[in-house]
Amino acid sequence: MREREGQSQALGDDFTLAPVVAAAHELKSPLALVRQLSFMLEDETLNLAERQKLLSQIRLTSERALRLTGDLTRAARLEDAMFELEPINPWQLCDDIVHELTPLFAAHGRALTIRPHRHPLLLVANRDLLRRIVMNFSDNALHYSEAGAAVELQIKSLQAGKIIRVGVRDFGPALSSDMWRTLQQKLATAPQTVHARPQSSGLGLYIAGMFAQAMHGSIGMTRHRDGATFYVDLQASQQLSLL
Amino acid sequence: MSKVLIVEDDDWLAAQHRRVLEKAGYQTIISPHALDAIVMIDSEKPDAIVLDVLLTGSTGFTLLHELQSYSDTAAIPVIICSNVADSLSLEDVEPYGVKRIVDKLTMLPDDIATAVRGALT
Repeated sequence: MREREGQSQALGDDFTLAPVVAAAHELKSPLALVRQLSFMLEDETLNLAERQKLLSQIRLTSERALRLTGDLTRAARLEDAMFELEPINPWQLCDDIVHELTPLFAAHGRALTIRPHRHPLLLVANRDLLRRIVMNFSDNALHYSEAGAAVELQIKSLQAGKIIRVGVRDFGPALSSDMWRTLQQKLATAPQTVHARPQSSGLGLYIAGMFAQAMHGSIGMTRHRDGATFYVDLQASQQLSLL
Repeated sequence: MSKVLIVEDDDWLAAQHRRVLEKAGYQTIISPHALDAIVMIDSEKPDAIVLDVLLTGSTGFTLLHELQSYSDTAAIPVIICSNVADSLSLEDVEPYGVKRIVDKLTMLPDDIATAVRGALT
């Protein structure tokens, strides 16, 4: 739904309702799902395995919602907080994320993998912010990938090794040109409720963009015939070349 | 036995709808997106459709428009089940074959079966 007029009017100099509306929209889905799943637990005919499956779904859905609230809190403190940029091995970080998210992906009948790369790479980032970006893209990819498909984390060196790209490739329905244009707009602007990848208000992308900018990087998206890749580009660390 | 097509891109919620509807005596089929649903409607000829609006790919409104394009599918009753139910008015979507709107945020599990029953009578 398009926002009603007036919903994003400024309240003072530094606060608008748009992110709040977007956050509320994003949190609706997981909260509604948790509520429905909890109703099912009241069914006395469920066996133990079905009950455990529902409990696992409730826990995993709650964790997704909590990741969003965590990102929102972090984004709100971004300008005030000091955070360290350090050389990071993106493969190691992606490997940690794969381990953390594998139960969620498995519960949805999907897999999360890392595309191997030949050479060791280091980038300059804040570990927490980069982790949040890749987790965000992975959550997004989970929702938009086909059942049974794998989501792939990809690490590439660009511009003669100056830039490292960490991408999350999903394999799902092709994006129409209209969706593509809307998503490109989402990457560049404040969160707004649109019908592109419609469950998304754009808030996740907006926050990911803020985190990337804070690390002197940027986010982007590549459209494929069978899905999309969301990526973050960051400066490569010079440490390896000094060795 | 009436056949109900569930168009819902959240597979856990779709399974929940299926459980409730099958318990109420309906046969169910599930489609995660509008485009896939259009193919399924042609092949399975459902008696009713439970439709989410904010779907991956094309929205539920695309499906509603498509249904109205053909006389045989225009007659299939649709129940919208959505997180944005509070932004929709039945009056506005009734011309598209929508018989009920169920709010995902406040619904009880049996509400889906009640809505389907009401739409089929």
